[in-house]
Amino acid sequence: MRILFAGDEHPYSAYALKKVIELAWHTWADVTLLAVSPTQPSSRDPMPEALHRYREEFLEALGGSDSPYAQERWEYEWMALRNGSWEEVQVRRGIKKELRVRLRVGNADTEILSEAVRDGSDLIVMGCSGKGKSCTWDSASSTAPQKVIGNATCSVLLIKEDRPINRVLACLDQTAASQESIEMINQILTIHGAQLELVGLTRDGGAKPEAYTQLIRLGDYFGDRGIPINTRLAEQSKFESVLSTHTGDDLLALWMGKKSLLTLLFPRDWVEKFASACPSSVLVLR
Amino acid sequence: MTSDRKTTVLILDDEPIVCKRLKPALEKAGYEVESFTRSREAMHRLTERSFDVAITDLKMDGLDGMAFLTEVKKRYPETEVIVITGFATMETARESYQKGVFDFVAKPFKLGEILDVVKKAETKREALLKN
Repeated sequence: MRILFAGDEHPYSAYALKKVIELAWHTWADVTLLAVSPTQPSSRDPMPEALHRYREEFLEALGGSDSPYAQERWEYEWMALRNGSWEEVQVRRGIKKELRVRLRVGNADTEILSEAVRDGSDLIVMGCSGKGKSCTWDSASSTAPQKVIGNATCSVLLIKEDRPINRVLACLDQTAASQESIEMINQILTIHGAQLELVGLTRDGGAKPEAYTQLIRLGDYFGDRGIPINTRLAEQSKFESVLSTHTGDDLLALWMGKKSLLTLLFPRDWVEKFASACPSSVLVLR
Repeated sequence: MTSDRKTTVLILDDEPIVCKRLKPALEKAGYEVESFTRSREAMHRLTERSFDVAITDLKMDGLDGMAFLTEVKKRYPETEVIVITGFATMETARESYQKGVFDFVAKPFKLGEILDVVKKAETKREALLKN
């Protein structure tokens, strides 16, 4: 698994980093810590300083000698310089798994999405400010979390608060859940020892046979693997009231594949608005 | 690949979709691949021949991936084993390394990631064989 942490210098990003550390502790994922500066930064700018701090924190938690991220592997690598030339430098890498620290310059959401594609990320983890009705960054790139959630091609975990995850409320429409998204749910459930509640969304009082098939398939999948699961159906028009039943210790997971009913029924930016309104952390699955 | 002989890879995962995805990708990359969805059948195959690299899931009915890893390393210490799992924990990762796993990869992963790991395992094997 490859995890891309995208943060800025504010405290909510530190919460998200804690979640990344927790995920990395269990999955031994390759991790990239990314920040985006709107202009060419100097070493005293907040983004490089924040990245430095995040790297220190990550390695303090996971850099011990028995850790896969222990920085004990020395290699020579070619690094691009600004003037178009290259320099061969000696770098220290994780002994078994990678921790990379990257700074990009430009528009935050564009650069984060671009890095996720370049890096082959399976999961983007971001924090955002505000409890409840907001989902923004306190910087010039205020809408970056919403834009990334709405446009990423991989799954996105948006951390809203530093809280445990005791239950995953996973909402599924009538499209097929990808194998990658099911595996992502598996990992989240395993790591947190969380319960799973699967909500199948129906339309106009019923669901297509494929929707029932999908729910049964997923129920069997998790049941066969010893994961306790509650399954229920909910009318799409009452979706928001379903969501009101969940608490701050829940993680709301939304399957948002390309053919998702959610993206068909709601305006393109719906998921962005929804992620803002949702009081708990959100996992958008793709 | 440095010689005419293809590097051989065994895949064991009880989810057919994983085998279906990995096998053609590895074959396209030039490997000779056999895939199994039942650990018992994979174990039986190991009594008939060795593999250069084995990729195994952890959580399976019957003989699980950890037991499979133990058995492969006992029978063929030179085989590089890669564990892939959808239920990763620090404990299983550590235990895998204690048992001699080459790499531990949590699902989901991109095909490119697993191809990179297999390539590294192949390189390590070739270096060991030269020495």
